[in-house]
Amino acid sequence: MVRLVLGDLRRHPGPAALLVLSTLVATAVLSLGMSLPGATERLYLQTRAATAGPDVVVVAPGRSRAADAALRSLEDVPGVAARSRTYRTFFTEITTGGGAVRAAVLGADAEPGPIDRPLVTSGAWVRPGGVVVERGFAGALRLRVGDRVTVGGRSFPVVGVAVTAARMVYPWATMGGPDGGPSDRSGLVWLHERDTRALAGADVPAASLVYLRLRDPGATAAFRAVYHESHDPAVRLNAFTWPFIAHQGAVYLRDGQPILIVGGWLLSFMAVAGLSTLAAGRAAGQARRAGLLKVVGATPGLIAVVLLTEYLALALLADAAGLALTRLVAPLVVNPSGSLLTADAGPSGPIAAMTTVVAVGVAILTALAPAVRALRTDAVTTLAPAVGRPDHLVLLSRLAGLLPVPLLLGLRLVARRPGRALLHAGSAATTAVGLTVLLMVDAQPDQGWDFGGVTVADLMDDRSRLLLLGVTGAMAALAVVNTLTTTWTTVRESQATMAVARTLGATPGQVTAGLATAQLLPALPGALAGIPLGLFAQWFFGHQNTPQPVTPWVWLVPPALLLATAALAAVPARFAVRRPVAETLRAEAA
Amino acid sequence: MNVLQVRDLTKRHGHKHGLVRAVDGVDLDVPAGQLLAVTGPSGCGKSTLLHLLGGLERPTSGQVWLAGQRVDTAGERALARLRRRSVGFVFQSFHLVEELTAAENVELPVLLAGGSPRAARRRAGQLLDQVGLAHRARRQPWRLSGGERQRVAVARALANEPLVVLADEPTGNLDTAATNEVLRLFADLRAMGQTVVLVTHDARVAATADRLISMRDGVFVDDAWLGGPAGRLGDLFAMGD
Repeated sequence: MVRLVLGDLRRHPGPAALLVLSTLVATAVLSLGMSLPGATERLYLQTRAATAGPDVVVVAPGRSRAADAALRSLEDVPGVAARSRTYRTFFTEITTGGGAVRAAVLGADAEPGPIDRPLVTSGAWVRPGGVVVERGFAGALRLRVGDRVTVGGRSFPVVGVAVTAARMVYPWATMGGPDGGPSDRSGLVWLHERDTRALAGADVPAASLVYLRLRDPGATAAFRAVYHESHDPAVRLNAFTWPFIAHQGAVYLRDGQPILIVGGWLLSFMAVAGLSTLAAGRAAGQARRAGLLKVVGATPGLIAVVLLTEYLALALLADAAGLALTRLVAPLVVNPSGSLLTADAGPSGPIAAMTTVVAVGVAILTALAPAVRALRTDAVTTLAPAVGRPDHLVLLSRLAGLLPVPLLLGLRLVARRPGRALLHAGSAATTAVGLTVLLMVDAQPDQGWDFGGVTVADLMDDRSRLLLLGVTGAMAALAVVNTLTTTWTTVRESQATMAVARTLGATPGQVTAGLATAQLLPALPGALAGIPLGLFAQWFFGHQNTPQPVTPWVWLVPPALLLATAALAAVPARFAVRRPVAETLRAEAA
Repeated sequence: MNVLQVRDLTKRHGHKHGLVRAVDGVDLDVPAGQLLAVTGPSGCGKSTLLHLLGGLERPTSGQVWLAGQRVDTAGERALARLRRRSVGFVFQSFHLVEELTAAENVELPVLLAGGSPRAARRRAGQLLDQVGLAHRARRQPWRLSGGERQRVAVARALANEPLVVLADEPTGNLDTAATNEVLRLFADLRAMGQTVVLVTHDARVAATADRLISMRDGVFVDDAWLGGPAGRLGDLFAMGD
């Protein structure tokens, strides 16, 4: 059996490659989409473990003895196991080559304490006269070790880049802001305690904070319920528990998840469409194989295993590759602004199992029907030359008689396989949906990475656009694969018909145009239907309350898709007409 | 006047030790109205000769002229025009377009030649009536018997009133009764003055021709004038019936 499968793979590497590619793209996007829920929280846990992250960060706006006393008194709160010293944060601007940026400047020790030990990912930890920049912030500003920034009017070299679990991800570094209110426009830098004195003297808005370790890290709710009782009620304290900090990062991915999940299912449909066509195109050959196996005494069970094993093996291979690809790409997608460690951001076991089920489902959907048909057909019939009793739409065939030759040939090819035409139309519609959504999103004003005002909305928008671009790119790639597959299959199935047409006087150009037309006819309604569907999808998954004007670029989607389809379909068609007519007829008669 | 002229026609397949001379330097003249049968054992090159005459294959060397026009050097578009107007093919495996009805198969060459749909329908009706299949016009090929399919193929070959009909083993897949149907049809064509070159290894079919060429290993080994098929055909039909 293994020899049979390997032999067939060697003889037909092209279809095998297409099967692997289609399934790989679909499973990769699907597993990525399914990996998003909880992914950022998992990255936070990794970062927390690597940096001795606190269980609670308590912030007191301003600088006062009362606030310091209140922060110190937290060690007496039931459940608190340890407290850090009090640190000062100053809310100011730092200046880089690109302009002034809001920042939270945290006074740090040359040797971090036992709670919150930021992990240096580049360069070294803070020292007098040097600044360390939080990794998400550094990424946004494109700062590297050795660059210079100005903090509080004094220039510092960037001596390191680090990550911490004691702050929310960039740009939420203020943790309550200078006045205790929310702010999402700041990054974090560390300066040596000594270097922050200038800021303290300049009357820069500030806050004090301590890091707490609880006896039971899971008992954060209990801490929140009682910590107010330990200090002077006149002092306002804000407590940020580690689950809260962990959850904040996931907000970035809120818009990205539907893009990936819906995109993943659409890509799965496109994979099924392409692979069904592929399997149908190979059905005659597979039936003949089944006939040969029957003749030599193979049981139906063995034949079914032989016919299905190849598809299943390739689907599992593609699934494994898709999951590996997700493992590579996931850290880039799920790590908001690069503020967290990305040691392990791949799909979990259940997700891997789920995508494997989908991949196997795709393989079975595409291979089962031809396999069953081959099993149920008499051996003699499968070994005889193919005598067609094709599916056909009589009306389309009749209509074709009224049209110019390329349209005549194309319409009759469509009429011959209406199911395939439907799948091709669906594939074109899916691609048009993706392109329409992409163009609509692209037409919206870009929030931009304005140095002075980077917001969470900017980052979410930026991330969503990137994800949409990736999914649409994958759709376009599968559409290319599907068009080539459909044309190639149509060419294979219709080569006798086309050879006969040539004996009757059809030119190679007419045959090529006919084969291309057979792809264009279903692609046209698909591309047209994709525009309203895409507009609906963009409205549904976007901001439903603010309808966007339709960008004129959207109307270029159908002609662009049709041009691409015609160009792609012409490639296998041109190869097909190069084969001598007599050779084709001899092969068909054999 | 010769409809077909062939000079030193050669077709080789393969290289060096695997070289096969399918057609090896043959000369041939086929006058208008002649029914020429080419016979010989399997693999002697007779089908290749037919494909070369109709421009379905390119010769290795030599010349083929059809109604004064060079076939062997014509481009693909010129060959397509030639097949539309001047050549009708009949194949052993029928090669009907399975998804089209009998009438639509016959209409197809007319449409390809630029005829209007109305003209194509009229011509198809006329030809199917001529081959005795008017009542089967709306049937698809898989619902026809072998003999009926070949009669549709003959009707299709005649659709554009070609100068020559090239038939490759037209009875090779047929039983005796169906063979007789097709032979009657070829007798009618001959009576109409249609030039026909048919390739066969069936002696009964060969006996219907005006002229019989025997091939072996790519060369003509015999070229005999049979003097008309009328008497023999009558005998054959009597035997077959």
